[in-house]
Amino acid sequence: MQKRVVFRSRLLPYLLVLPQIAITVIFFFWPSYQAIESSFFIEDAFGFSREWVGLQNYFELFDDPGYLKSFRTTLIFGVSVAFLAMSIALGLAVAANRVVKAATGYRTLLIWPYAVAPALAGVMWYFMMNPSLGIVAYWLRSLGVDWNHYLNGDQALLLVIVAAAWKQISYNFLFFLAGLQSIPKSMLEAAAIDRAGPVRRFWTIVFPLLTPTTFFLLVVNLVYAFFDTFSLIHATTEGGPVDATSVLVFRVYNTGFIGQDYGSSAAQSVILMALVIGMTFVQFRYVERKVQY
Amino acid sequence: MATLSIKSLGKTYPGNVTAVQDVDVEIADGEFIVLVGPSGCGKSTILRMIAGLEAITTGDLHIDGERVNDREPGDRNIAMVFQNYALYPHMSVRKNMEYGLKNEGLPKPEIAKRIEEASRTLRLEEYLDRKPRQLSGGQRQRVAMGRAIVRDPKVFLFDEPLSNLDAKLRTQLRAELKALHHRLGATFIYVTHDQVEAMSLADRIIIMNAGRVEQIGTPMDLYLRPATRFVADFIGSPAMNFIEGTVGEDRRSLAINGTQVLNMGQELPARAGAQVAMGMRPEHLGDAGGADIQVSLQVSFVEQLGADTVVHGNLSGGAQPLAVRLHGVHASEPGSEIALGCGMGHVHLFDTATGARLN
Repeated sequence: MQKRVVFRSRLLPYLLVLPQIAITVIFFFWPSYQAIESSFFIEDAFGFSREWVGLQNYFELFDDPGYLKSFRTTLIFGVSVAFLAMSIALGLAVAANRVVKAATGYRTLLIWPYAVAPALAGVMWYFMMNPSLGIVAYWLRSLGVDWNHYLNGDQALLLVIVAAAWKQISYNFLFFLAGLQSIPKSMLEAAAIDRAGPVRRFWTIVFPLLTPTTFFLLVVNLVYAFFDTFSLIHATTEGGPVDATSVLVFRVYNTGFIGQDYGSSAAQSVILMALVIGMTFVQFRYVERKVQY
Repeated sequence: MATLSIKSLGKTYPGNVTAVQDVDVEIADGEFIVLVGPSGCGKSTILRMIAGLEAITTGDLHIDGERVNDREPGDRNIAMVFQNYALYPHMSVRKNMEYGLKNEGLPKPEIAKRIEEASRTLRLEEYLDRKPRQLSGGQRQRVAMGRAIVRDPKVFLFDEPLSNLDAKLRTQLRAELKALHHRLGATFIYVTHDQVEAMSLADRIIIMNAGRVEQIGTPMDLYLRPATRFVADFIGSPAMNFIEGTVGEDRRSLAINGTQVLNMGQELPARAGAQVAMGMRPEHLGDAGGADIQVSLQVSFVEQLGADTVVHGNLSGGAQPLAVRLHGVHASEPGSEIALGCGMGHVHLFDTATGARLN
């Protein structure tokens, strides 16, 4: 049942949505417009003059092997973070769902990491993995792994992936747990009577029923990894060594604020914007409509 | 097809909450057993213990002579139909029925054959490729039944399978269930809180109250000779009338509320001064003329059901409620009095304190 409110005054409904619209326009549309506009100019580093260059900034980006490599890094980073954060969260949620005693306390503890700021999470992992004073690096060395993310680009990428994933596990955990709890117990009992063991029950009943949650989290996690991990990378590896952890968002910052190439930086953020819009579209179109049973 | 032997079965939950205790019953091959009782009486717990979904705290459960207390639900050769059907929502009807058979590792042609048979029996052929959400309540119920049938189990367990359906469909499916039992010849164990369902389906009824068995017997045993006041009250609709009183010195009368004395035709099987409840079914009250016990009913309201008329009221001169079921159509004004009688053969006498049957 849908209730419609009929306003007597024509002005009131517009007044009611005005604050929301004002926020959206001032903080979202206007900067977006500025970014799109700047991406068509080449500006000198001090902002005194600029020159219209059309799509040149974009062409240069796609000719730049560094930028293309950054795309690849972002993809590896995003997919790894999403996979790691989601699989660990699912494992924890399955375990938490079986806990009967002190379940609330256990869940609360698992949710805590979400309250840690991304930069702090990054720094924490950075210290633990620090080749000269980190405890985890020390353990790794005793296992024969030569850990040094200052020199080894792959290890640096692994470090930021682990740190970013760790931060996201709590969020995923909450959603997976809610998803698991919404599966009727009798369905699993029916499967048990149908001779399915615990593992088979999980993969044939539980996991398919979690599909809507999984898809939702996949999009959220990818968006997080692609766009929300700047502070984490900035606080730990600063994109290095040699661009090994320079994901797209970090590159926007680097090009704009370090390299002072505002035009190229703007073009990069426009591309990122297009990516977000694309993923949001996917989420609305497929996740909210198609993934049901 | 199998026999079931339940010996001093009990279930205690953590925190010393006893849900079921001391249940003993031998179930013959092909029997239709109904577990009935009010909610919380432990009937579903017994079913779930038979299924292996609840651990058995005390006692033994044997299926076909084998002790199965510690077997997994999947290894007990049983099938269960749940109250909410518990169909797998992401699988088609066919997949739902196949699931158990695939887990058993049956060859494909055999699976196909069984599904074809079951869907023909249950008239599900045209729905095989649909998802559960595209089916009506009755159809889902039949799919749940189909999922049980294809497994060809030794014992079928039903946990209030009809309670989510509307009255008309319930009656229809009750008949189908009875026919199915007849055709399969398998052992059925059925849980319900509905005494009509229990009476119409069961070969034998196990009636439960507060975790204990009150009586085990055929529907007619329970109707004609209820072992306790609880059974007498639970079975039959409208419920049995109870008149409480004290047995008189001559043991041939009953003093009600200390003021009214009801004369009984013969000596009561209770000592003088005993507190008893005398039960008479509304349908056994009738013409006063020459009956052993004579009572007078002060009418408060009348239910006209067409075939029958149920007159509700109080025992004249007292507050004890009394109802009578009269055949055919009768007009009775509220406030008027009706003279009624009941033969001693239809009187059930219970001890007020223990609820045990005295006659």
